[in-house]
Amino acid sequence: MDINSRPVVVKRMPERVNGRTAREFLRDVQPFLHADRPQLVFDLSQVVQLDAAGVEMLLRCMSEAHKRDGDVKLASLSAQSAVVLELTRTERLFEIYETSTDAARSFSGFLPNAMRQQLLHNKRPAAPLAA
Amino acid sequence: MDIRGLLLVNSGNIREDDLTFLASSPLGVLDVAGKAPLQRMAERLQQYGISSITAVVEDASFPLAKTLAVAAGLNCLVSTPERFWRTAENAFNDMAQSGAELVVLVRLGAYAEVDFEKLVQFHLDRGSRVSQVAHEGSGLEIFCISASRRNDAASLLRSQLSRCRSECPQMEHTGYVNSLGDARDLRQFAVDILTRKTQTCPACEELKPGVWIGHGAIIEKGARVLAPAYIGAYARIRTGAVITRCASVEHHAQVDCGSVVENSSVLPYCYVGAGLDLAHSVAGMRQIANLRRDVSVEVVDPKLIASIAVTSGKRLLTSAADFLTYLPRIAAQGIFSGGKPQQPDLNTALRTTSPALGDTAGYETSACDSEAAQKFPNMVVARRYGHQ
Repeated sequence: MDINSRPVVVKRMPERVNGRTAREFLRDVQPFLHADRPQLVFDLSQVVQLDAAGVEMLLRCMSEAHKRDGDVKLASLSAQSAVVLELTRTERLFEIYETSTDAARSFSGFLPNAMRQQLLHNKRPAAPLAA
Repeated sequence: MDIRGLLLVNSGNIREDDLTFLASSPLGVLDVAGKAPLQRMAERLQQYGISSITAVVEDASFPLAKTLAVAAGLNCLVSTPERFWRTAENAFNDMAQSGAELVVLVRLGAYAEVDFEKLVQFHLDRGSRVSQVAHEGSGLEIFCISASRRNDAASLLRSQLSRCRSECPQMEHTGYVNSLGDARDLRQFAVDILTRKTQTCPACEELKPGVWIGHGAIIEKGARVLAPAYIGAYARIRTGAVITRCASVEHHAQVDCGSVVENSSVLPYCYVGAGLDLAHSVAGMRQIANLRRDVSVEVVDPKLIASIAVTSGKRLLTSAADFLTYLPRIAAQGIFSGGKPQQPDLNTALRTTSPALGDTAGYETSACDSEAAQKFPNMVVARRYGHQ
Protein backbone atom coordinates (compact mmCIF):
# COMPACT_ATOMS: atom_id res chain seq x y z
CA MET A 1 0.00 0.00 0.00
CA ASP A 2 1.38 3.40 -0.98
CA ILE A 3 0.67 5.26 2.22
CA ASN A 4 2.18 8.60 1.23
CA SER A 5 0.46 9.16 -2.07
CA ARG A 6 -2.83 10.47 -0.71
CA PRO A 7 -3.55 13.98 -1.94
CA VAL A 8 -4.05 16.96 0.32
CA VAL A 9 -7.14 18.80 -0.85
CA VAL A 10 -7.12 22.56 -0.38
CA LYS A 11 -10.47 24.30 -0.67
CA ARG A 12 -10.92 28.01 -0.63
CA MET A 13 -13.92 29.11 1.40
CA PRO A 14 -16.34 31.68 0.00
CA GLU A 15 -16.37 35.33 1.04
CA ARG A 16 -19.57 35.02 3.01
CA VAL A 17 -20.09 31.83 4.94
CA ASN A 18 -23.69 31.86 6.07
CA GLY A 19 -26.29 29.09 6.32
CA ARG A 20 -26.79 28.73 2.56
CA THR A 21 -23.16 28.94 1.43
CA ALA A 22 -22.09 26.70 4.30
CA ARG A 23 -24.51 24.01 3.11
CA GLU A 24 -23.23 24.35 -0.46
CA PHE A 25 -19.65 24.21 0.69
CA LEU A 26 -20.32 21.17 2.83
CA ARG A 27 -21.99 19.46 -0.13
CA ASP A 28 -18.86 20.17 -2.19
CA VAL A 29 -16.45 18.76 0.33
CA GLN A 30 -18.56 15.75 1.34
CA PRO A 31 -16.94 13.45 -1.26
CA PHE A 32 -13.49 14.36 0.01
CA LEU A 33 -14.58 13.85 3.59
CA HIS A 34 -16.01 10.45 2.77
CA ALA A 35 -12.76 9.32 1.19
CA ASP A 36 -10.40 7.14 3.19
CA ARG A 37 -8.28 9.20 5.64
CA PRO A 38 -9.17 12.59 4.15
CA GLN A 39 -6.60 15.37 4.33
CA LEU A 40 -8.22 18.74 3.81
CA VAL A 41 -7.04 22.30 4.11
CA PHE A 42 -9.58 25.12 4.12
CA ASP A 43 -8.22 28.45 2.94
CA LEU A 44 -10.08 31.26 4.74
CA SER A 45 -8.18 34.16 3.23
CA GLN A 46 -11.21 35.55 1.41
CA VAL A 47 -13.73 35.14 4.20
CA VAL A 48 -15.20 38.48 5.21
CA GLN A 49 -18.23 37.12 7.01
CA LEU A 50 -18.42 33.94 9.02
CA ASP A 51 -21.46 33.15 11.09
CA ALA A 52 -22.50 30.38 13.46
CA ALA A 53 -23.65 28.17 10.57
CA GLY A 54 -20.18 28.46 9.03
CA VAL A 55 -18.49 27.51 12.28
CA GLU A 56 -20.86 24.58 12.67
CA MET A 57 -20.00 23.45 9.14
CA LEU A 58 -16.27 23.58 9.94
CA LEU A 59 -16.81 21.48 13.05
CA ARG A 60 -18.89 19.01 11.10
CA CYS A 61 -16.15 18.68 8.49
CA MET A 62 -13.57 18.10 11.22
CA SER A 63 -15.77 15.53 12.90
CA GLU A 64 -16.34 13.67 9.60
CA ALA A 65 -12.62 13.74 8.82
CA HIS A 66 -11.71 12.43 12.27
CA LYS A 67 -14.17 9.57 11.90
CA ARG A 68 -12.13 8.40 8.93
CA ASP A 69 -8.78 9.01 10.61
CA GLY A 70 -8.19 12.14 8.57
CA ASP A 71 -7.90 15.80 9.49
CA VAL A 72 -9.07 19.25 8.47
CA LYS A 73 -6.66 22.15 8.86
CA LEU A 74 -7.24 25.85 8.38
CA ALA A 75 -4.98 28.28 6.59
CA SER A 76 -4.62 31.99 5.78
CA LEU A 77 -7.28 33.14 8.21
CA SER A 78 -8.70 36.56 7.45
CA ALA A 79 -9.11 38.94 10.38
CA GLN A 80 -12.86 38.47 10.37
CA SER A 81 -12.72 34.69 10.42
CA ALA A 82 -9.99 34.68 13.07
CA VAL A 83 -12.08 36.87 15.38
CA VAL A 84 -15.20 34.72 14.95
CA LEU A 85 -13.27 31.47 15.45
CA GLU A 86 -11.73 32.88 18.61
CA LEU A 87 -15.11 34.11 19.80
CA THR A 88 -16.70 30.69 19.29
CA ARG A 89 -13.74 28.88 20.88
CA THR A 90 -13.18 26.83 17.76
CA GLU A 91 -9.73 28.11 16.88
CA ARG A 92 -8.23 25.82 19.52
CA LEU A 93 -9.76 22.75 17.89
CA PHE A 94 -8.11 23.24 14.52
CA GLU A 95 -4.52 23.35 13.42
CA ILE A 96 -4.12 26.79 11.85
CA TYR A 97 -1.35 27.74 9.42
CA GLU A 98 -0.32 30.99 7.83
CA THR A 99 -0.50 29.66 4.29
CA SER A 100 -2.22 26.80 2.53
CA THR A 101 1.18 25.48 1.49
CA ASP A 102 2.32 25.27 5.11
CA ALA A 103 -0.91 23.52 6.04
CA ALA A 104 -0.62 21.04 3.17
CA ARG A 105 3.02 20.40 3.99
CA SER A 106 2.13 19.73 7.62
CA PHE A 107 0.26 16.58 6.60
CA SER A 108 3.55 14.97 5.67
CA GLY A 109 4.98 15.80 9.08
CA PHE A 110 3.21 13.06 10.92
CA LEU A 111 1.06 10.10 10.11
CA PRO A 112 -2.33 9.19 11.51
CA ASN A 113 -2.28 6.51 14.18
CA ALA A 114 -3.82 3.80 12.05
CA MET A 115 -1.26 4.38 9.34
CA ARG A 116 1.62 4.47 11.80
CA GLN A 117 0.57 1.13 13.22
CA GLN A 118 0.28 -0.30 9.73
CA LEU A 119 3.79 0.93 8.92
CA LEU A 120 5.18 -0.60 12.08
CA HIS A 121 3.42 -3.82 11.28
CA ASN A 122 4.90 -3.89 7.77
CA LYS A 123 8.41 -3.12 8.99
CA ARG A 124 8.37 -5.82 11.67
CA PRO A 125 10.68 -8.68 10.61
CA ALA A 126 8.97 -11.92 9.96
CA ALA A 127 9.18 -14.41 12.79
CA PRO A 128 11.63 -17.19 12.09
CA LEU A 129 10.06 -20.44 11.19
CA ALA A 130 10.31 -23.12 13.73
CA ALA A 131 12.97 -25.57 12.90
CA MET B 1 -16.46 84.74 39.51
CA ASP B 2 -18.76 83.48 36.76
CA ILE B 3 -17.08 80.48 35.14
CA ARG B 4 -18.92 78.40 32.55
CA GLY B 5 -18.12 75.09 30.92
CA LEU B 6 -18.29 74.30 27.21
CA LEU B 7 -18.00 70.64 26.22
CA LEU B 8 -17.49 69.73 22.57
CA VAL B 9 -18.25 66.22 21.33
CA ASN B 10 -17.65 65.31 17.71
CA SER B 11 -16.13 62.44 15.82
CA GLY B 12 -13.29 64.42 14.26
CA ASN B 13 -10.57 63.15 16.56
CA ILE B 14 -11.12 59.39 16.18
CA ARG B 15 -7.96 57.72 14.91
CA GLU B 16 -8.32 56.12 11.49
CA ASP B 17 -6.67 52.77 12.08
CA ASP B 18 -7.72 49.13 12.17
CA LEU B 19 -9.28 49.61 15.58
CA THR B 20 -11.59 52.36 14.43
CA PHE B 21 -14.71 51.45 16.30
CA LEU B 22 -18.11 52.95 15.81
CA ALA B 23 -16.59 55.68 13.69
CA SER B 24 -19.95 57.38 13.27
CA SER B 25 -20.20 58.01 16.98
CA PRO B 26 -17.53 59.63 19.18
CA LEU B 27 -16.19 57.50 22.00
CA GLY B 28 -16.89 60.33 24.44
CA VAL B 29 -20.58 59.39 24.49
CA LEU B 30 -20.15 55.63 25.00
CA ASP B 31 -20.63 54.30 28.49
CA VAL B 32 -17.58 53.08 30.37
CA ALA B 33 -18.29 51.51 33.76
CA GLY B 34 -21.70 53.10 33.87
CA LYS B 35 -21.03 56.61 32.66
CA ALA B 36 -19.84 58.16 29.43
CA PRO B 37 -16.67 60.29 29.49
CA LEU B 38 -18.95 63.25 28.62
CA GLN B 39 -20.90 62.72 31.84
CA ARG B 40 -17.74 62.17 33.86
CA MET B 41 -16.19 65.37 32.54
CA ALA B 42 -19.40 67.31 33.24
CA GLU B 43 -19.46 65.97 36.80
CA ARG B 44 -15.82 66.92 37.25
CA LEU B 45 -16.53 70.48 36.14
CA GLN B 46 -19.47 70.58 38.53
CA GLN B 47 -17.23 69.37 41.37
CA TYR B 48 -15.10 72.46 40.81
CA GLY B 49 -18.16 74.71 41.03
CA ILE B 50 -18.69 75.14 37.29
CA SER B 51 -22.39 74.43 37.26
CA SER B 52 -23.47 76.09 34.05
CA ILE B 53 -22.30 73.75 31.30
CA THR B 54 -23.25 73.60 27.64
CA ALA B 55 -22.51 70.56 25.50
CA VAL B 56 -22.24 70.90 21.73
CA VAL B 57 -22.64 67.52 20.06
CA GLU B 58 -22.53 66.34 16.50
CA ASP B 59 -25.88 65.02 15.32
CA ALA B 60 -24.44 61.55 14.56
CA SER B 61 -24.03 61.04 18.26
CA PHE B 62 -27.17 62.96 19.13
CA PRO B 63 -29.47 60.21 20.49
CA LEU B 64 -26.81 59.05 22.93
CA ALA B 65 -25.47 62.47 23.73
CA LYS B 66 -28.89 64.01 24.37
CA THR B 67 -29.71 61.32 26.93
CA LEU B 68 -26.36 61.84 28.60
CA ALA B 69 -26.63 65.60 28.57
CA VAL B 70 -30.09 65.47 30.15
CA ALA B 71 -28.85 62.98 32.76
CA ALA B 72 -25.93 65.21 33.65
CA GLY B 73 -28.07 68.35 33.73
CA LEU B 74 -26.36 69.98 30.77
CA ASN B 75 -27.66 72.33 28.16
CA CYS B 76 -27.29 70.35 24.93
CA LEU B 77 -26.87 71.89 21.46
CA VAL B 78 -26.95 69.69 18.39
CA SER B 79 -25.15 70.50 15.19
CA THR B 80 -24.35 69.01 11.81
CA PRO B 81 -20.68 68.10 11.31
CA GLU B 82 -20.28 71.02 8.87
CA ARG B 83 -21.64 73.62 11.31
CA PHE B 84 -20.17 72.09 14.47
CA TRP B 85 -17.48 74.71 15.06
CA ARG B 86 -19.78 77.59 14.17
CA THR B 87 -22.30 76.30 16.73
CA ALA B 88 -19.54 76.08 19.34
CA GLU B 89 -18.56 79.68 18.58
CA ASN B 90 -22.16 80.81 18.96
CA ALA B 91 -22.43 78.96 22.27
CA PHE B 92 -19.28 80.74 23.49
CA ASN B 93 -20.68 84.13 22.43
CA ASP B 94 -23.96 83.41 24.22
CA MET B 95 -22.04 82.62 27.40
CA ALA B 96 -20.04 85.83 27.11
CA GLN B 97 -23.21 87.87 26.54
CA SER B 98 -24.95 86.32 29.52
CA GLY B 99 -22.22 87.48 31.88
CA ALA B 100 -19.59 84.73 31.96
CA GLU B 101 -16.08 85.87 32.83
CA LEU B 102 -14.20 82.69 32.05
CA VAL B 103 -15.09 79.72 29.89
CA VAL B 104 -13.48 76.33 30.37
CA LEU B 105 -13.53 74.64 26.97
CA VAL B 106 -13.09 70.85 26.79
CA ARG B 107 -13.21 68.75 23.67
CA LEU B 108 -13.85 65.01 24.11
CA GLY B 109 -11.68 63.40 22.83
CA ALA B 110 -9.24 62.93 25.52
CA TYR B 111 -10.44 62.44 29.07
CA ALA B 112 -8.12 64.16 31.54
CA GLU B 113 -8.61 64.57 35.26
CA VAL B 114 -7.57 68.19 35.31
CA ASP B 115 -7.56 70.31 38.42
CA PHE B 116 -9.77 73.09 37.04
CA GLU B 117 -9.19 75.30 40.06
CA LYS B 118 -5.49 75.18 39.33
CA LEU B 119 -6.17 75.90 35.66
CA VAL B 120 -8.25 78.97 36.44
CA GLN B 121 -5.62 80.20 38.90
CA PHE B 122 -2.91 79.64 36.30
CA HIS B 123 -4.93 81.58 33.73
CA LEU B 124 -5.52 84.50 36.07
CA ASP B 125 -1.91 84.60 37.27
CA ARG B 126 -0.57 84.76 33.72
CA GLY B 127 -3.16 87.33 32.70
CA SER B 128 -3.43 85.58 29.36
CA ARG B 129 -6.43 85.52 27.04
CA VAL B 130 -6.30 81.79 26.45
CA SER B 131 -4.55 79.10 28.54
CA GLN B 132 -4.15 75.48 27.57
CA VAL B 133 -3.60 72.24 29.49
CA ALA B 134 -0.65 70.15 28.35
CA HIS B 135 0.42 66.63 29.18
CA GLU B 136 4.02 65.50 28.75
CA GLY B 137 4.74 68.48 26.53
CA SER B 138 1.84 68.08 24.12
CA GLY B 139 -1.28 70.21 24.36
CA LEU B 140 -4.60 68.68 25.35
CA GLU B 141 -7.83 70.10 23.97
CA ILE B 142 -8.70 71.73 27.26
CA PHE B 143 -8.60 75.51 27.45
CA CYS B 144 -9.47 78.31 29.78
CA ILE B 145 -10.60 81.38 27.82
CA SER B 146 -11.40 84.87 29.00
CA ALA B 147 -14.99 85.38 27.90
CA SER B 148 -14.34 88.98 26.87
CA ARG B 149 -11.81 87.81 24.27
CA ARG B 150 -14.29 86.66 21.68
CA ASN B 151 -11.93 87.11 18.76
CA ASP B 152 -9.34 84.83 20.35
CA ALA B 153 -12.03 82.25 21.05
CA ALA B 154 -13.37 82.55 17.51
CA SER B 155 -9.89 82.10 16.07
CA LEU B 156 -9.32 79.05 18.24
CA LEU B 157 -12.65 77.45 17.36
CA ARG B 158 -12.41 78.21 13.65
CA SER B 159 -9.02 76.50 13.53
CA GLN B 160 -10.60 73.48 15.29
CA LEU B 161 -8.52 74.15 18.41
CA SER B 162 -5.26 73.85 16.52
CA ARG B 163 -4.16 77.50 16.58
CA CYS B 164 -4.46 80.43 18.90
CA ARG B 165 -3.86 83.94 17.62
CA SER B 166 -2.47 85.25 20.89
CA GLU B 167 0.07 83.80 23.26
CA CYS B 168 -1.30 80.63 24.86
CA PRO B 169 0.60 79.53 27.96
CA GLN B 170 0.41 75.84 28.79
CA MET B 171 -0.25 74.41 32.22
CA GLU B 172 1.38 71.02 32.65
CA HIS B 173 -1.04 68.34 33.82
CA THR B 174 0.47 65.38 35.64
CA GLY B 175 -2.69 63.46 36.47
CA TYR B 176 -4.66 60.85 34.60
CA VAL B 177 -5.12 61.23 30.82
CA ASN B 178 -6.74 58.90 28.32
CA SER B 179 -6.78 59.97 24.69
CA LEU B 180 -9.99 57.98 23.90
CA GLY B 181 -8.95 57.73 20.29
CA ASP B 182 -9.97 54.16 19.57
CA ALA B 183 -11.41 51.00 21.11
CA ARG B 184 -8.12 50.20 22.86
CA ASP B 185 -8.29 53.51 24.74
CA LEU B 186 -11.94 52.88 25.61
CA ARG B 187 -11.01 49.48 27.04
CA GLN B 188 -8.04 50.94 28.92
CA PHE B 189 -10.32 53.56 30.40
CA ALA B 190 -12.59 50.82 31.79
CA VAL B 191 -9.59 48.96 33.24
CA ASP B 192 -8.26 52.16 34.82
CA ILE B 193 -11.64 52.93 36.40
CA LEU B 194 -12.05 49.41 37.78
CA THR B 195 -8.51 49.28 39.11
CA ARG B 196 -8.94 52.73 40.68
CA LYS B 197 -6.21 54.43 38.70
CA THR B 198 -8.64 57.26 38.06
CA GLN B 199 -10.38 59.55 40.47
CA THR B 200 -13.69 58.83 38.79
CA CYS B 201 -15.44 55.66 39.97
CA PRO B 202 -17.82 53.10 38.52
CA ALA B 203 -21.36 54.42 38.44
CA CYS B 204 -22.95 51.97 40.84
CA GLU B 205 -22.60 50.32 44.20
CA GLU B 206 -19.62 48.12 45.02
CA LEU B 207 -21.35 45.01 46.34
CA LYS B 208 -18.15 43.05 46.96
CA PRO B 209 -14.58 44.32 46.83
CA GLY B 210 -13.91 44.98 43.17
CA VAL B 211 -17.38 43.97 41.97
CA TRP B 212 -19.78 46.74 41.01
CA ILE B 213 -23.35 45.75 40.23
CA GLY B 214 -25.92 48.22 39.00
CA HIS B 215 -29.55 48.62 39.95
CA GLY B 216 -31.82 45.93 38.47
CA ALA B 217 -28.98 43.81 37.13
CA ILE B 218 -29.77 40.07 37.06
CA ILE B 219 -27.02 37.57 37.70
CA GLU B 220 -28.54 34.13 37.32
CA LYS B 221 -27.65 31.18 39.49
CA GLY B 222 -24.49 29.52 38.27
CA ALA B 223 -23.06 32.67 36.70
CA ARG B 224 -19.78 33.93 38.16
CA VAL B 225 -18.57 37.49 38.47
CA LEU B 226 -14.92 37.68 39.49
CA ALA B 227 -13.36 40.93 40.70
CA PRO B 228 -12.62 43.37 39.31
CA ALA B 229 -15.76 43.53 37.21
CA TYR B 230 -18.62 45.87 36.47
CA ILE B 231 -22.21 44.86 35.71
CA GLY B 232 -24.38 47.78 34.68
CA ALA B 233 -27.98 48.53 35.53
CA TYR B 234 -30.53 46.09 34.11
CA ALA B 235 -27.80 43.95 32.59
CA ARG B 236 -28.37 40.20 32.58
CA ILE B 237 -25.74 37.53 33.12
CA ARG B 238 -27.16 34.11 32.39
CA THR B 239 -26.35 30.74 33.91
CA GLY B 240 -22.82 29.49 33.49
CA ALA B 241 -21.46 32.81 32.22
CA VAL B 242 -18.19 34.11 33.66
CA ILE B 243 -17.32 37.80 33.90
CA THR B 244 -13.71 38.34 34.85
CA ARG B 245 -10.47 40.34 34.56
CA CYS B 246 -11.72 43.91 34.54
CA ALA B 247 -14.65 43.04 32.31
CA SER B 248 -17.33 45.63 32.05
CA VAL B 249 -20.88 44.74 31.02
CA GLU B 250 -22.76 47.98 30.54
CA HIS B 251 -26.41 48.69 31.23
CA HIS B 252 -29.10 46.59 29.49
CA ALA B 253 -26.44 44.30 28.01
CA GLN B 254 -26.90 40.53 28.12
CA VAL B 255 -24.36 37.75 28.34
CA ASP B 256 -25.94 34.44 27.45
CA CYS B 257 -25.40 31.02 29.01
CA GLY B 258 -21.86 29.72 29.30
CA SER B 259 -20.13 32.69 27.72
CA VAL B 260 -16.91 34.03 29.15
CA VAL B 261 -16.26 37.76 29.12
CA GLU B 262 -12.62 38.31 29.97
CA ASN B 263 -10.82 41.64 29.89
CA SER B 264 -13.53 42.99 27.60
CA SER B 265 -16.17 45.66 27.47
CA VAL B 266 -19.73 44.89 26.45
CA LEU B 267 -21.40 48.13 25.45
CA PRO B 268 -24.98 49.07 26.40
CA TYR B 269 -27.81 47.13 24.73
CA CYS B 270 -25.43 44.51 23.38
CA TYR B 271 -26.26 40.81 23.40
CA VAL B 272 -23.40 38.32 23.63
CA GLY B 273 -24.55 34.88 22.45
CA ALA B 274 -24.33 31.60 24.30
CA GLY B 275 -21.09 29.66 24.71
CA LEU B 276 -18.81 32.39 23.41
CA ASP B 277 -15.40 33.49 24.56
CA LEU B 278 -15.14 37.26 24.43
CA ALA B 279 -11.58 38.12 25.39
CA HIS B 280 -9.52 41.30 24.99
CA SER B 281 -12.30 42.94 23.02
CA VAL B 282 -14.88 45.66 22.95
CA ALA B 283 -18.26 44.43 21.72
CA GLY B 284 -21.29 46.43 20.83
CA MET B 285 -23.56 47.62 18.05
CA ARG B 286 -22.84 44.44 16.06
CA GLN B 287 -19.12 45.04 16.10
CA ILE B 288 -16.18 43.51 17.86
CA ALA B 289 -12.89 45.32 18.23
CA ASN B 290 -10.32 42.66 19.03
CA LEU B 291 -7.42 44.34 20.80
CA ARG B 292 -5.00 41.44 20.43
CA ARG B 293 -5.44 41.26 16.70
CA ASP B 294 -5.76 45.02 16.31
CA VAL B 295 -8.84 44.66 14.19
CA SER B 296 -12.45 45.71 14.30
CA VAL B 297 -14.98 43.47 12.56
CA GLU B 298 -18.69 43.56 11.97
CA VAL B 299 -20.62 40.54 13.19
CA VAL B 300 -23.86 39.99 11.30
CA ASP B 301 -24.98 36.78 12.98
CA PRO B 302 -27.37 37.68 15.83
CA LYS B 303 -26.54 34.36 17.51
CA LEU B 304 -23.08 35.75 18.22
CA ILE B 305 -23.42 39.48 18.82
CA ALA B 306 -26.67 41.39 18.49
CA SER B 307 -28.22 44.66 19.48
CA ILE B 308 -31.03 44.76 22.00
CA ALA B 309 -33.86 47.23 21.43
CA VAL B 310 -33.32 50.48 23.30
CA THR B 311 -37.00 51.07 24.18
CA SER B 312 -38.57 48.79 26.75
CA GLY B 313 -41.78 48.37 24.70
CA LYS B 314 -39.82 47.08 21.74
CA ARG B 315 -37.87 44.71 23.97
CA LEU B 316 -41.11 43.35 25.39
CA LEU B 317 -42.59 42.88 21.92
CA THR B 318 -39.44 41.10 20.70
CA SER B 319 -39.46 38.73 23.69
CA ALA B 320 -43.17 38.00 23.24
CA ALA B 321 -42.73 37.34 19.52
CA ASP B 322 -39.79 35.01 20.22
CA PHE B 323 -41.81 33.15 22.82
CA LEU B 324 -44.90 32.76 20.63
CA THR B 325 -43.00 31.67 17.52
CA TYR B 326 -40.65 29.25 19.27
CA LEU B 327 -42.74 26.08 18.84
CA PRO B 328 -43.88 26.84 15.25
CA ARG B 329 -40.22 27.53 14.31
CA ILE B 330 -39.06 24.21 15.75
CA ALA B 331 -41.90 22.39 13.98
CA ALA B 332 -41.11 24.11 10.66
CA GLN B 333 -37.42 23.23 10.99
CA GLY B 334 -38.36 19.60 11.58
CA ILE B 335 -40.69 19.48 8.58
CA PHE B 336 -38.54 21.30 6.02
CA SER B 337 -35.11 19.98 6.91
CA GLY B 338 -36.19 16.34 6.48
CA GLY B 339 -35.03 15.80 2.89
CA LYS B 340 -31.36 14.93 2.61
CA PRO B 341 -29.74 16.20 -0.62
CA GLN B 342 -28.07 13.58 -2.75
CA GLN B 343 -24.31 13.66 -2.37
CA PRO B 344 -22.21 13.65 -5.53
CA ASP B 345 -19.55 11.00 -5.81
CA LEU B 346 -15.84 11.83 -5.51
CA ASN B 347 -15.17 12.04 -9.26
CA THR B 348 -18.10 14.38 -9.88
CA ALA B 349 -17.10 16.56 -6.96
CA LEU B 350 -13.55 16.86 -8.23
CA ARG B 351 -14.75 18.10 -11.60
CA THR B 352 -17.26 20.68 -10.45
CA THR B 353 -16.67 24.22 -9.28
CA SER B 354 -18.08 25.05 -5.91
CA PRO B 355 -21.15 27.28 -6.24
CA ALA B 356 -20.43 28.54 -2.75
CA LEU B 357 -17.24 30.15 -3.98
CA GLY B 358 -19.15 32.27 -6.53
CA ASP B 359 -16.82 34.67 -8.33
CA THR B 360 -13.90 33.79 -6.14
CA ALA B 361 -13.41 30.45 -7.84
CA GLY B 362 -10.13 31.50 -9.44
CA TYR B 363 -8.26 28.40 -8.50
CA GLU B 364 -4.59 28.50 -7.78
CA THR B 365 -2.88 25.56 -9.25
CA SER B 366 0.64 26.77 -8.74
CA ALA B 367 1.07 24.59 -5.71
CA CYS B 368 -0.15 21.46 -7.45
CA ASP B 369 2.36 18.99 -8.59
CA SER B 370 1.96 17.89 -12.13
CA GLU B 371 0.68 14.42 -11.43
CA ALA B 372 -2.05 15.58 -9.08
CA ALA B 373 -3.02 18.41 -11.42
CA GLN B 374 -3.55 15.93 -14.24
CA LYS B 375 -5.50 13.61 -12.04
CA PHE B 376 -7.70 16.29 -10.47
CA PRO B 377 -7.87 19.21 -12.92
CA ASN B 378 -10.52 21.14 -11.01
CA MET B 379 -9.02 20.76 -7.58
CA VAL B 380 -8.03 24.01 -5.93
CA VAL B 381 -4.64 22.83 -4.81
CA ALA B 382 -3.48 19.26 -4.55
CA ARG B 383 -0.14 18.30 -3.07
CA ARG B 384 1.59 15.02 -2.75
CA TYR B 385 4.50 14.38 -0.52
CA GLY B 386 5.05 10.82 -1.60
CA HIS B 387 8.82 10.70 -1.62
CA GLN B 388 9.89 13.55 0.61
